[in-house]
Amino acid sequence: MRLGSVIRWEFLRAVRSKQYLFMSVFIPVIAAAAIIVASSQDRSAAQSLSGPPPAFVVALILAMILFMGAFLNGVMALYGVVKEKQSRVVELVLSSISARQMMAGKVIGLGIAGLIQVAAWVAVTYAVASRFTTISLEALTLVHWVTYPLYFALGYLLIASIYAATGATMKDVQSGGVGGLVGFVAYVPIMFAALIIENPNHVLVRIASFFPPFTPSVMLLRLGTAHVPAWEVALSLAALGAGVVVTMRIAARVFELGLLMYGKAPSTRELWKWVRARRPR
Amino acid sequence: MPAPVLEVRSITKQFESVRAVGDVSFEVQRGEILGYLGPNGAGKTTSIRMILGIFQPDAGEISIHIGEHSGRLLKERTGYLPEERGLYSDATVLDALVYFAELKGLSRAEARPLVLQWLGRFDLHEWANKKVERLSKGMQQKVQFIAAVAHKPDLLVLDEPFSGLDPVHQDLLKDVIRELRDGGAAIMLSAHQMNQVEELCDRIFLIDRGRRVLYGTLDEIKAQDGEHVVRLRFDGSAESLSALPGVKDLAIDGDRASLRLERGAGPDAFVRSLPATLAIREITVTRPPLHDIFVRTVGRESHEAR
Repeated sequence: MRLGSVIRWEFLRAVRSKQYLFMSVFIPVIAAAAIIVASSQDRSAAQSLSGPPPAFVVALILAMILFMGAFLNGVMALYGVVKEKQSRVVELVLSSISARQMMAGKVIGLGIAGLIQVAAWVAVTYAVASRFTTISLEALTLVHWVTYPLYFALGYLLIASIYAATGATMKDVQSGGVGGLVGFVAYVPIMFAALIIENPNHVLVRIASFFPPFTPSVMLLRLGTAHVPAWEVALSLAALGAGVVVTMRIAARVFELGLLMYGKAPSTRELWKWVRARRPR
Repeated sequence: MPAPVLEVRSITKQFESVRAVGDVSFEVQRGEILGYLGPNGAGKTTSIRMILGIFQPDAGEISIHIGEHSGRLLKERTGYLPEERGLYSDATVLDALVYFAELKGLSRAEARPLVLQWLGRFDLHEWANKKVERLSKGMQQKVQFIAAVAHKPDLLVLDEPFSGLDPVHQDLLKDVIRELRDGGAAIMLSAHQMNQVEELCDRIFLIDRGRRVLYGTLDEIKAQDGEHVVRLRFDGSAESLSALPGVKDLAIDGDRASLRLERGAGPDAFVRSLPATLAIREITVTRPPLHDIFVRTVGRESHEAR
């Protein structure tokens, strides 16, 4: 019940923030514009703004949108924790609930806000794009409808828990955290998006699908452009799930220990010591 | 005697090479205010954080006895006013307070009227829907206090509750703290204003360098200290007083004098040894104020450590 209160609180704070409103409008406008441009690309100028966008464009934009959602809400978790630490709210919160409950409530509450936001982005993008192009969702099969939310949710949990833990080790928003770099790994595949779209079943791409930080973005891109064997989808989800469990455990530990450390941010070596240290309870 | 609400047994906490708290034991009874005192950096906040379960002691045991419950900490039955104040500054006063009460296990419907009642008590009802950041420091202080008590805790830990409050609100807060005690709460109060402590606390625990230096009722501590303070008004010359046995720190200002009697030199012997040449017009002999005992004890400790 108290976890529910934390989730509700974090959710409401997120959706009432200005960033949330801004991003809700900004992202779909950009995404729709990208689809419109892509649709007109290989047509004559006279026919512009009419044809359907290529399937890979839809896949890429969906992947970007999902990732943007995971990233933005992860960053919100980070800022939230740093602010709570700076304003010393954290002490009062921890005298009421455990650090684990606090982190879980934050990650889930912001996650729900993120999910709603992403759904809105997709809907608005589709609505705008369909006015100017002949975009259709026929290319999306049941596999997409089932797996995309899963990749988003798991990818979000992975990123948000890393960011929440990073926030707990930071003194203020200016000071960097090691976790930020770890979180960045998840965006690497987006930089290689063009290559992945061209060679969705290349052996390296297939291997990358099973490396948890890469899984969500790589799989979103592959599923959008090629047929992926069911066992690969299942295995990638299992790998991602396992990665989420491990990451969340480590993140919870760092979160717990980092929260009450004021003063200097811990070094990478200290962090490693925390992660390995036996839980006192 | 019923089981104490809070029972602390030999807790120890080490940070790297610093022993923040070493082998500290005490208890707080239902309906009692324990003054938890010590100089800055003595280990007060560290021990308070252990009691509240914010972190765990390296060794020792903290148990809670509330009604039928006996054993581990019940966070929902505990209230805490941290020394480092902090609230969600961009939330409204009411929202933030209801949320903190929810974290203690109350439903929103239960929390709201309790919070509003407290806001009324502290003259803050007009501020209920204002953002916390718009409040003055003193008001935020009161809001923070409400966050500690709205859920009617059985164990209440107040770290520096009077700092930042004007005298009117200090008195109001004292009344409220006494009411909570009379209502059966076990209260642990940490403060630097020894006069407030003397007014409020039934017993005192003095910690220095992570260790217990004094523990007992005010009377016990003063008796243990053994010194007396004498103040008098006189005609004639008081210089001869300094020659009397056990007299130290004689200070004369016009027709007034004050002095301290060493431990063992009781008021009785002192009064009998007063010279006949000195005409005394007023005289009081009292135990020293807690402030003096604190300063002397902590000063001696740090002197011996060197």
